Amino acid sequence: MNQQFKDYSQVVSQYIGNLPNDGGDWLVAQRSSAAERFTELGFPHAKLEAWKYTGIEGLLKQGFETLDKSPEFAEHAVLNQFLPEPVAGRLVFVDGVYQADLSTCDAVGITVGNLRSAMAASDRTVLEAIGSLSGVGDHGFAALNLATVHDGAVIRVAAKTSLEQPVELLHMATKSAEGQALRSRHLVMLETGASANLIERYVALDGVAYFNNLVCEISLAQGARLTHQRVQHESPKAYHLSDIHLGLQADARYHGINAAVGAAWSRTVIHNRFLDRGASCELDGIYLAGDGQLTDFHLDVDHAVPHCDSRESFKGILHGAGKAVFDGLIQVREQAQKSQAHLHNANLMLSRQAEIDTKPQLVILADDVQCSHGTTVGQLDPQAVFYLRSRGIDEQLARHLLCLGFASEVIDRFESETLRLQLTEVIRQQVRG
Amino acid sequence: MLTIKNLTANVDSKEILRGVDLDVKAGEVHAIMGPNGSGKSTLAHILSGRDGYEVTGGEILYKGQDLLRLETEERAQQGIFLAMQYPVELPGVNNMTFLRESMNAIRRSRHEAEIDAVSFMKLVREKAASVKFDQKLLKRSVNAGFSGGEKKRNEILQMAMLEPYLAILDETDSGLDIDALRTVADGVNLLRSPERSMIVVTHYQRLLEYIEPDHVHVLAGGRIIRSGGKELALELEAKGYGWLLEEAAA
Ligand SMILES: Nc1ncnc2c1ncn2[C@@H]1O[C@H](COP(=O)(O)OP(=O)(O)OP(=O)(O)O)[C@@H](O)[C@H]1O
Ligand SMILES: [Mg+2]
Repeated sequence: MNQQFKDYSQVVSQYIGNLPNDGGDWLVAQRSSAAERFTELGFPHAKLEAWKYTGIEGLLKQGFETLDKSPEFAEHAVLNQFLPEPVAGRLVFVDGVYQADLSTCDAVGITVGNLRSAMAASDRTVLEAIGSLSGVGDHGFAALNLATVHDGAVIRVAAKTSLEQPVELLHMATKSAEGQALRSRHLVMLETGASANLIERYVALDGVAYFNNLVCEISLAQGARLTHQRVQHESPKAYHLSDIHLGLQADARYHGINAAVGAAWSRTVIHNRFLDRGASCELDGIYLAGDGQLTDFHLDVDHAVPHCDSRESFKGILHGAGKAVFDGLIQVREQAQKSQAHLHNANLMLSRQAEIDTKPQLVILADDVQCSHGTTVGQLDPQAVFYLRSRGIDEQLARHLLCLGFASEVIDRFESETLRLQLTEVIRQQVRG
Repeated sequence: MLTIKNLTANVDSKEILRGVDLDVKAGEVHAIMGPNGSGKSTLAHILSGRDGYEVTGGEILYKGQDLLRLETEERAQQGIFLAMQYPVELPGVNNMTFLRESMNAIRRSRHEAEIDAVSFMKLVREKAASVKFDQKLLKRSVNAGFSGGEKKRNEILQMAMLEPYLAILDETDSGLDIDALRTVADGVNLLRSPERSMIVVTHYQRLLEYIEPDHVHVLAGGRIIRSGGKELALELEAKGYGWLLEEAAA
């Protein structure tokens, strides 16, 4: 065990020892088992299959610390980031700290708040939900998250409530995040027949270096529907790790639309558990990586019950010396008859130095199922570039239009027009053809 | 408008064009016919600047300047348009965006203001109607999943929008139904004017009934082996190429 790791373990036990003792339920028992798990697992390393291509040396070398200090920021800078579309509710975190003044929620049938208040108030539903889908953590960072997390978003939508407008969950990192390890843990709970649209965004004001370590648990009760638009646009020096756990009851429908376009290093893991029949899980994603960037998506979709559908479709654009990892594991268990699962991953390589490690894995144990998977890794079609040029468009614009065309299949799925425009702009600006 | 002198060109070090001469004056329509594989598309591609062809000799003058020195997009900006034999599919690139980007790229190169959204919409609707191009296809990705005929009509729509000085139509009539043939011909005839020229590559005399050419050329084995008026097309229709090839060989 190296020195760095020992230091970490000590900090963790100190943290648990120093938790506020004000009568709230601070999940001490769960935290202690998470801390134990962290000690057992340590940090992930390249010998673990899931981390083979996603090194964390760079991350550890940065020595990010959790400082628990209040962020300093100009309010208008945060307000500028708000989506202009009307929202049903908004939760704002700056440098991982909840901003009650900037958060709102007026709609009927939805409760939004933060985890810290729920813990202080010993809110049973929330406390019981924590870890119910994620467990104490299947890798060191996830265990560390549970052991030391102090805040996050809690979003609950009451039975049969149907929200017209989206709920915005905004995370912003400012200058004062420099050098910090930020931890958040989000809970999203939709009761029977509820339907909602969540827009979760990670943005940064400056070129600051920090580590965002997140866990998000989303449970959809029977017949609930969630559209989840998620944009990781962290600072170019940031590290971002998200573990998303989905639990879908009968006839629930989840549609996740993901974009990972920022950060020096980012990894998003989406676990989906079908808990009862008739549910559907659709996952779309677009990722970009250029010089000095690594972007990783891991999917783990488990068809353990019959009559559920999943579709996973991810696209990557790699330029410069960018690197990406895509690992899509779909399991259809023996009893999961009448399942449908379709996995697709397409990668556009714009330079010779760019690198992609893609691994679609379809493990099918049931016989009466419809499943498919496909992966492509290719370059821009020279004939297509010629066609555009022959209509007067210069080569650079031609390549940009083709890249945007490639990405548009995913970008068009974002319901928010602002997000579609922003993502298009990011591709225009960042992608070097 | 366009003068080609003794043009020779290779593909993969195989000689395809073996000395092509052609003089197209402003306002003229030239038809090029010839057997499969004789080099018609090769010539069309070289005119538009496609990669993969090695010009080994001769010269091409367009409006008095050395065409071969210009990039593909510069040629388009200066008024050259190629309607392709096999139009390319551009998945994810919206047809309307494509038309607008093309128009604006050409306008920018001429130091003209970009077209505003409203005028563009009006123009595209009008032109689409004039070439009977289904408006619904404007909202789709360029040529992706279009039928053969729809792709060809899209080429004509682009031509109508961009109003080139030299339009080269490479077998735009192949794969078209009789009505579509008429529409394509009408699209071409609408553009005909004393300052515009066309080179129409075709296998069928039928198109030439609608678009009356000033000159008809036969390209075979990488050379123009016969030139004549529109009656040459009729003769070819009746007799095929055999007699010409024999004469050329003799
Ligand atoms: N990229 C290429 N690689 C190899 N050979 C080529 C290539 N392009 C053209 N050729 C060859 O050059 C010759 C001329 O082709 P081209 O397409 O110009 O003929 P064409 O006259 O247009 O024929 P068609 O009437 O069938 O359209 C053919 O033998 C063709 O196989
Ligand atoms: Mg041809």
